[in-house]
Amino acid sequence: MNRTFGDRLILVLVIGAAFVWMMPMLWVLSLSLRPNEELVRSTAGILPWPKTLEHFATLLRVSLTPRWLLNSVIVAFGMTALTLLLSSLAGYAFARIDFPGRRAVFLLVMAGLMIPEQAILVPLHAMLADWEMHNTYFSLIAPRLAGPMGVFLMTQFFKAVPRELEEAAELDNASRLKIFWSVMLPLSRPALTTLGIFTFLFAWNDFLWPVVTATQPEMYTLSVGLGSLQGNFAMSEGLGFLMASAVFASAPMVILYVVFQRYIVQGITLTSGK
Amino acid sequence: MTVTSVQDAGSRPHGLARYRDALSGYAFLAPFLAFYAVFLLYPFGLGLWMSLHDWEIVGDYREFIGLLNYQELWDDPYFWEALKRTLQFAAITAPAATVLGLVLALALNGPLRLHGALRAVFFASNIFSVTVVTLVWSMVLNPDRGLIANGMRAVGLEPIAFLADQDWAMPALVVTTLWWVAGFPMALFLAGLQQIPPEVYEAARLDNASRWAVLRRITLPALARTTLLVVVLQTVMHLQVFGQPLLMTRGGPANSTRPLVQLIYETSFRDWRSGYASTVSVVLFVMMFCVALLQFRLSRQEGD
Amino acid sequence: MADVLLRDVRKRYGAQEVIHGVSLELKHREFIVFVGPSGCGKSTLLRMIAGLEQISDGEILIGGRRVNDTPPGDRGVAMVFQNYALYPHMTAADNMSFGLRNIGTPRAEIEERVAAAARTLQIEHLLKRRPSEMSGGQRQRIAIGRAIVRRPNVFLFDEPLSNLDAALRVQMRVELVQLHQRLDATSIYVTHDQVEAMTMADRIVVFRDGRIEQVGTPLEVYRTPANTFVAGFIGAPKMNLLETRVTAASTGRVEVALPGGRAELAVDGRALASGASVTFGVRPEHLRRTAGEGVFRGQVKALERLGRETLLHVTGTDGASLIATDTGDSPVRIGDTVALALEPGSGRLFGGNGAALPPAAASAA
Repeated sequence: MNRTFGDRLILVLVIGAAFVWMMPMLWVLSLSLRPNEELVRSTAGILPWPKTLEHFATLLRVSLTPRWLLNSVIVAFGMTALTLLLSSLAGYAFARIDFPGRRAVFLLVMAGLMIPEQAILVPLHAMLADWEMHNTYFSLIAPRLAGPMGVFLMTQFFKAVPRELEEAAELDNASRLKIFWSVMLPLSRPALTTLGIFTFLFAWNDFLWPVVTATQPEMYTLSVGLGSLQGNFAMSEGLGFLMASAVFASAPMVILYVVFQRYIVQGITLTSGK
Repeated sequence: MTVTSVQDAGSRPHGLARYRDALSGYAFLAPFLAFYAVFLLYPFGLGLWMSLHDWEIVGDYREFIGLLNYQELWDDPYFWEALKRTLQFAAITAPAATVLGLVLALALNGPLRLHGALRAVFFASNIFSVTVVTLVWSMVLNPDRGLIANGMRAVGLEPIAFLADQDWAMPALVVTTLWWVAGFPMALFLAGLQQIPPEVYEAARLDNASRWAVLRRITLPALARTTLLVVVLQTVMHLQVFGQPLLMTRGGPANSTRPLVQLIYETSFRDWRSGYASTVSVVLFVMMFCVALLQFRLSRQEGD
Repeated sequence: MADVLLRDVRKRYGAQEVIHGVSLELKHREFIVFVGPSGCGKSTLLRMIAGLEQISDGEILIGGRRVNDTPPGDRGVAMVFQNYALYPHMTAADNMSFGLRNIGTPRAEIEERVAAAARTLQIEHLLKRRPSEMSGGQRQRIAIGRAIVRRPNVFLFDEPLSNLDAALRVQMRVELVQLHQRLDATSIYVTHDQVEAMTMADRIVVFRDGRIEQVGTPLEVYRTPANTFVAGFIGAPKMNLLETRVTAASTGRVEVALPGGRAELAVDGRALASGASVTFGVRPEHLRRTAGEGVFRGQVKALERLGRETLLHVTGTDGASLIATDTGDSPVRIGDTVALALEPGSGRLFGGNGAALPPAAASAA
């Protein structure tokens, strides 16, 4: 009985904490739905009465937000697709193909996990400036394909696939590419899903590199664009608009989260190399 | 045609087959390795090289100056201030996030649907981008019309301009960051808790262990490895803090919240001194490398 | 025709040799079982025939063609793996047709072959299911089906029944032999289970430490084991082996001393001196309880009542112990002293190196 009482008390406390936790987001959501006249008067309360969608309409009509959304979509999907392709190809080679120097190359690649993005930010910028490639989708995507985490994950995954499956395929006259494409890739759907979601989340929320390479507003991603709005708008005039842009930018992530929550939480344990 | 190496002879197909196998190995690796070499290895080397130069971001002015940048760094009060602020931020945030994550995980490691829903709530803030998080919290902390200011006025208190106050700016950034990231350590701790076999708890119950004893003698020791991992990951992560101060305080007031990455960013892209910025990058890299090395050593010891 | 010929086949991993020059000739349509303890090299040899392991030395011929450098898919072999190795994301039908699709077999023919195989194996109702939706026995059938549709010259089985429960294993044993008889192919079957070897094989090949210990029909291997290893490995309960000494030896007769008696064997004893160390081997069913003298006398230490028969664990005065069979309703109780007689013509002698001594008949011929 003591035990149940304790459990209940804890549950009540966390429920309270959860409400406090959600409060900032709910409040911002409610602000984004209130007309400006109301916001000038007061920002108190959580319930958006009276409510309006005018801020979202403005967002899509007058600002560059649609363009930023497009950029984010292109960058996130591009980066995700290419990361999946490169990582699974390389992971398969490391896990299953015997070639001279495999161990050494693998160690060299894994050493890259130790290099943080800040350490190469400045030289990377100099390099792309030399190539005159800043403010392109290429510069937004390509440097992010060099991270070894995906390769590490896929290598681990492919190593766990029973060797007999490949041997059976070999006896079935399948070539290396055929084995990879028709047997290993379909098998790795769970791993690819996890890696894909994480890459997408990362790409969508990426800030440091995009803010460095994208200097023309047309090439901003949503994340960078939103950052620029924060500086440019006086809070009093565009408060509802600003809050609407925050809601707008996070909506895709919320949807992704609701749909793929299981994979995201599982993936965390994977990516931390436990 | 035969490229059978001496030690490896016999382990796999030989002759032509082996040759073909090696070729396909390189073919599978080539696309990734190309990006890896061009966008990670090369810039890393270039960064070290740049740190030995007076190198302007625009134009062709680059002069080799040996270790002069490092010497300048040693005497640069802005660097020491930024280093101090970075360490301060990481030293508060990493343990706080760890403890918060642990407490949440312990409270939410239950079988009910409600537990699952609550876990989802606390983890959810993790998925927002730094710009969304800072925008939301700038508003929450706003002294005129912020959520907290509204609340303070309601109980008759004078609102505080958290982000403009030298004493409050850093704690405000810490709180914002905790809200953003705490779900991550929570998820790791939950995974760690799931790995404790339930029989252990049943045995403890038969031994009349109190709730507190179970926590201290069974649960926490079992989470030791996870805790080490969480602390390291969090420390490495928060040493890289950038977006929160840049967007919420611009490093102010009076540089009291300006971390190393922001110093790198501004030195390179505002002051155009890329060589010197690279020098700061190298220092940051060494710091993070040491933390990772420390973890490696510690986890090795624990493995014995 | 699919004779399989192994000529001095060797396998090395680095400096370590694990298969030490195996030569073997398998005839077309033979059912051959490779048997031996784990680590004896039987699976490695099978995988070398399949092309999954490189041949370090020697050569393998299938149907007269040297296949050392032929890729697995082109050797005309099909393999059934221990854990089935079905492609988990494909339906049973896709699993079976994957190989045919890879070599560009016309669709109509693929369908016809899959249907035929499914009929043979009675798995028509499973064709649309995935492996995860099937029981172990069903998966096993699909794996066999996958091998059949390729119409190989040689079937390779790598411990295919070891993941099944006991009852199903017995059933599949019979079915596999029947299937083999219907198909025009040679079968090579690897197992560590001597019961499978005895019940399924046309010929058994016994392996130990990368070497062949004996090749022969099940009865040959059972009755005339070539050495003490084979004697101990084949048969359950295994052959009794007693260290002993020769008391008298001649051209067609050898006498050895046993606790409580002497045994006479029809063995060529010309090379043996009186007093030489030998090993006496006898199957439990060739020892009978007797009221008279017998060759062995000892105390019953344990009884295993199996219903059809009773196994007596008898320990002699010098501590040597053996197992004898008795009737199912044996009146013997633990602690009784019994005398055991040797059935005429049974018993075997092994020399100091463990190899069986030649029978008297051989020297007479």
